[in-house]
Amino acid sequence: MAWHTKSSFGVTLKASNIRAEAAVISEKASKFTRTRPIDGVKLYVGLPLDTVSDSGTINHARAISVGLKALKLLGVDGVELPVWWGIAEKQGMGKYDWTGYLALVEMVRKMGLKLHVSLCFHASKEPKIRLPEWVSRIGKSRPDIYFTDLSGQPYKDCLSIGVDDLPVLDGKTPIEVYNEFYKSFKSSFSAFMGSTITGISIGLGPDGELRYPSHRQLAKDGSQRGAGEFQCYDKNMLSNLKQHAEKLGNPLWGLGGPHDTPGYDQSPISNGFFTEHGGSWETPYGDFFLSWYSSQLVSHGDRVLSLAAETFKDVSISVSGRVPLMHLWYRTRSHPSELTAGIYNTVNRDGYEAIAEIFSRNSCNIILPGMDLSDDHQPNESRPSPELLLAHITSSCRKHGVGVSGQNLLVSGGPKVFEQIKKNLLNENAIDLFTYQRMGAYFFSPEHFPSFTKFVRSLKQPNLRSDDLPLKDEETADSLPDMNLHRQVA
Amino acid sequence: MSTAVISPLFRHPHRYGGGHRPTPKFHLNSRKARPFYLNYTQSSRLMFNGACSLSSRHFKPAKTLCLRASSTDIAVVETSESSDVFFRETFQLKRPEKVEGKITIRLESGKDAENWQLTVGCNLLGKWILHWGVNYIGDVGSEWDQPPPFMRPPGSVPIKDYAIETPLEKSLASEGESIYEVKVDFNTNSSIAAINFVLKDEETGSWYQHKGRDFKLPLIDYLQDDGNIVGPKKGLGIWPGSLGQISNTLLKPEAANSKEDIGELSFQKRGLQGFYEEQAVVKETLVDNSVSVSVRHCLETAKNLLYIETDLPGDVIVHWGICKDEGKTWEIPSKPYPPETSIFKDKALRTLLQRKDGGHGSLGSFILDEGFVVFVFVLKLNENTWLNCHGNDFYIPLSSFSDPAIHSGQTHSEDEGQHKESSPLGISGNASEENQEVSAYTDDIINEIRSLVTDISSEKSRKTKSKKAQESILQEIEKLAAEAYSIFRSSIPTFIETDLAKDEALEPPVKISSGTGSGFEILCQGFNWESHKSGKWYMELHEKASKLASLGFTVIWLPPPTDSVSPEGYMPRDLFNLNSRYGNIDELKALVKEFHKVGIRVLGDVVLNHRCAQSKNQNGIWNIFGGRLNWDDRAVVADDPHFQGRGNKSSGDNFHAAPNIDHSQEFVRRDIKEWLQWLREEIGYDGWRLDFVRGFWGGYVKDYLEATEPHFAVGEYWDSLSYTYGEMDHNQDAHRQRIIDWINATNGTAGAFDVTTKGILHSALERCEYWRLSDEKGKPPGVVGWWPSRAVTFIENHDTGSTQGHWRFPGGKEIQGYAYILTHPGTPSVFHDHIFSKYQSEISTLLSIRNRNKINCRSTVKIVKAERDVYAAMIDEKLAMKIGPGHYDPSNGSRNWSLAAEGRDYKVWEAS
Repeated sequence: MAWHTKSSFGVTLKASNIRAEAAVISEKASKFTRTRPIDGVKLYVGLPLDTVSDSGTINHARAISVGLKALKLLGVDGVELPVWWGIAEKQGMGKYDWTGYLALVEMVRKMGLKLHVSLCFHASKEPKIRLPEWVSRIGKSRPDIYFTDLSGQPYKDCLSIGVDDLPVLDGKTPIEVYNEFYKSFKSSFSAFMGSTITGISIGLGPDGELRYPSHRQLAKDGSQRGAGEFQCYDKNMLSNLKQHAEKLGNPLWGLGGPHDTPGYDQSPISNGFFTEHGGSWETPYGDFFLSWYSSQLVSHGDRVLSLAAETFKDVSISVSGRVPLMHLWYRTRSHPSELTAGIYNTVNRDGYEAIAEIFSRNSCNIILPGMDLSDDHQPNESRPSPELLLAHITSSCRKHGVGVSGQNLLVSGGPKVFEQIKKNLLNENAIDLFTYQRMGAYFFSPEHFPSFTKFVRSLKQPNLRSDDLPLKDEETADSLPDMNLHRQVA
Repeated sequence: MSTAVISPLFRHPHRYGGGHRPTPKFHLNSRKARPFYLNYTQSSRLMFNGACSLSSRHFKPAKTLCLRASSTDIAVVETSESSDVFFRETFQLKRPEKVEGKITIRLESGKDAENWQLTVGCNLLGKWILHWGVNYIGDVGSEWDQPPPFMRPPGSVPIKDYAIETPLEKSLASEGESIYEVKVDFNTNSSIAAINFVLKDEETGSWYQHKGRDFKLPLIDYLQDDGNIVGPKKGLGIWPGSLGQISNTLLKPEAANSKEDIGELSFQKRGLQGFYEEQAVVKETLVDNSVSVSVRHCLETAKNLLYIETDLPGDVIVHWGICKDEGKTWEIPSKPYPPETSIFKDKALRTLLQRKDGGHGSLGSFILDEGFVVFVFVLKLNENTWLNCHGNDFYIPLSSFSDPAIHSGQTHSEDEGQHKESSPLGISGNASEENQEVSAYTDDIINEIRSLVTDISSEKSRKTKSKKAQESILQEIEKLAAEAYSIFRSSIPTFIETDLAKDEALEPPVKISSGTGSGFEILCQGFNWESHKSGKWYMELHEKASKLASLGFTVIWLPPPTDSVSPEGYMPRDLFNLNSRYGNIDELKALVKEFHKVGIRVLGDVVLNHRCAQSKNQNGIWNIFGGRLNWDDRAVVADDPHFQGRGNKSSGDNFHAAPNIDHSQEFVRRDIKEWLQWLREEIGYDGWRLDFVRGFWGGYVKDYLEATEPHFAVGEYWDSLSYTYGEMDHNQDAHRQRIIDWINATNGTAGAFDVTTKGILHSALERCEYWRLSDEKGKPPGVVGWWPSRAVTFIENHDTGSTQGHWRFPGGKEIQGYAYILTHPGTPSVFHDHIFSKYQSEISTLLSIRNRNKINCRSTVKIVKAERDVYAAMIDEKLAMKIGPGHYDPSNGSRNWSLAAEGRDYKVWEAS
């Protein structure tokens, strides 16, 4: 093999010194192959939500293929692929069709990228991806399989945690159905496990997150006025609440949820339950209700994660779940937005301990969205603080030894957004993986892609202080003997 | 002068742990490496590093905890019982360590004389991959090719189109040791000349080669031996299997009749002989060591005494400094310093630790004044090996009030490229493997590229790396992103309005850019399909120059000027030869000069997509070019099988009649730019009409335009509109989007012919469906509705009309077409044949209305009516127009309108 390579870029690394005469090579760092800063955060990019279509084919496969190549050239480590319940198990319970996903994983493998798979047991509004039709059909006759709010409106984009262990799906419990889904996934993708597929996240609720669907109409820009509503009004949740109250000797507390909660659009601190000082949330009843409400969610998370952890324990992939960043009203005492979402976190109580604990117990990582959110650009009236909340959750994770992966929440990447992400990644939050959401037209558009490129490059090569740079020439000369090997550049 | 005896500060909980115990992994390997001396090159000195580190690793743990540090004349301290130890910690370290092993290569004959098996093995732990390829008989050069499918063992993965990666499988060898092996079966009749391979350890990304080269196993006799051939040398007879496991395979001469004399290379089928060979190999792994640090405060001297002890073998240098606050700024304390200390660049001190008695490990003590808050350090083993704490400096608090849990602080090092290892504090083992990966050799071009890309901001790399390579990678990324963008975009609602707004906002109308010219241009296509026939078109056109100027044209598009296989000029051959069927170069120059004299700019028609070859290659394929740009098949795209190009795949559609040029080749672009610049200077062209731009990426066009700075440029991006059941769809957004995507790819440096508008005019006029002339948002439905400043509107050209008539404008309706494009935004182009026809006076009227009212490419259009039989619009509130048989009258508005032009089914009014 001569020096010529087929590299289209003419990257031919020539030996300056043919020193090694035996088949010997050291891994000594060459300054040329260095690809990651020392404490490198791995960077993934999410694939489009509808990468695999309803009919199991790959949408705009060509675009994804060239997109993957662009990412690879850019130095991105991997991609994230949403795998939908409503697509893979569309045909009927236990009738899995993985063909589209398999084809995609193969594409990713060929490109030499890593893959994080998100198993989505929820539905998506935009693009429209539904729950499996056989599930919705059951839901038509039994709306109580869905989360329900005070006014009786069901939330049809995922199943209520109240039916986790009830045989509502043609004799099987949702948890069993999810578990079989994991197993089928695992066996169908066994060839890629641990090699191409490095991680998997398990859908835990609405938008995959461990929370109640407390905000029904999420505005496009992610802005919300109110604190959301409690979602414990389906038949099973209510009966669970009743039993729990009776057990504690306060049967009257189990007759329903709190009566003084504000509506979706109402400011929470103005009305009863969440009032800053003297609100019901601080009363024994409030504590009773909130403890129950949040513990239901935590138990659900534990159930789901433990099964997943069990299923995937013998393949070397990391298992994660997404925890929401309910940053609105974080600066209030009652944290109403977190409370309605099921995280009992107030000025008096740390609600993330219990969550970090179940992730720790099941050796799962937490995925945190909102790495792009800065306190500076938040509307003041809802008293948010994404940065403080992020620090809070990551510190809980650290305490319990739970790994944290990051995501961005909004799609409008601007230079400031990337600065914020970088700040979050490079500080002591100890985030090991960041998934940028998400590939698509905007992602590759001239308005966005150049700043993303810049972001990737700056992330992989953090600014060094000038006095950390090497001396001019001696070290360069020094380094050359290391380049004593010609490589067949593949 | 006194001697300070320091009593032990440490109770080493981990002392006999990580630090001294070889890892199981290492243990196994080292044991195994020992008996192996079968180095083919017989050069024991090549087993460097390994041996010395082995010996140092087998030291006995220190039995005594009583350590002795003798300070010399400067570092003096009395320790006493009052000393107060307030910090004590042991940090685990991962040190890169070399392990010896062997690579085995075995060739055996299989079931018969033609079937052979190559076995490559390695006895070191790792995720071994055989990266291999073959040379075929008759191959010229030494590039690899992929082996035929039947040779590929299961699990093989193709790498690009010339190599294969096959994982080595773990198998048990003798003595219960595991060895990783891969077997490749091949048949000597398969026209393979040689098998080339290297081994790769995926865990670390390391490569293992043979004398710095690929391993090469020749299956035929080569004339030359590059020195990297494995296996028995020709004429040496049988190479004995070294471990006796392999019986000495007999030389089995191949039936010599199979392949012979192909090409110029004279060779014979090699008489294959089995052999077994071993190669020494050294792998770097991480070995656990530790460093312990303790700090005590001496009340009597009011000094802090810091003590460092480590079991790291060899010389250990502490690269250290002091911080006065919790901040991250290193300072150098005042003297005295410990022995063997030097100052490094006024930023840090470097102290060589003293070897412990018995040679295992080192220690050192540091006396520090009060008032410093933090002692920071990293350890340096040699120029390339640094050890730090989880990617950060070791951070030792110097007062009991500091939080010892903090080990942060900015990495302090003098060389960003150095080899750093992190201690596993608070991180999993994976992290250190990651770090290992960082420094590992990697195989993949993509990794090469990645480092190039990510190194772009690095001062260091700039010196050593070609900036051009980086640029071409970025360009490649840009190109891929543009392609992904255009596909994703075509399947979602478009955001073109913003493009439009931005474009208008950014560019005041007076500015001249190659995409728009002045904004007030009116083009004349100055030839038709027959113009070459007279042989003196340039001279004929010369006569028409002043006429065209008086009609109001500002730009003329001349036919392709180069030597061409076809007389019309669109099959160019020798680009620098400008003698064509339209006239010779001097006539062309004179013509351009004449147009300039009358105030008309001249566009050269340049064909960049393809080029006709002048001679055949050795396979009889026409892909060798002639003339001044004597490119070979490397300039031809690879994906048109007819022309056997050796370039990259085409970045666009293929034009199948001639070899398509590979614009991704640097030399091609350089030559094209040079040619275009020459045309600008030598001939005086002011701009370009770019032929068949569907054939290559718009980003290259941008490159060419930026290099030649034309006054105006327009590209021909012609593809089909959408039809359903033979009827044209009302919505042609996808079509115009494709054109806009191309313009976008050129970064707006070129305009494009508005094929969409032409198509819609066809249907609207022919079928009396004038409603088609408004899109769903009430804008013009062609490119002109979305990006008017870059739309070059036309109704006919030499291909669509003339004597070819590929897509002729509806007969008799041409002036309606001109009434539309000459009153609307965009840059209109009028076809030669129409100018010199019965339509001349009507066209002339429309041209003067346009010029008089200063209608330009960015004029605003308001569609007033788009009904079955009439379309009416107002432009810049200065013009009103209607086409179609239906009725329209603008005079019901507030303005006074006077009729300026009128003809069959069209009217144009001017505001007065």
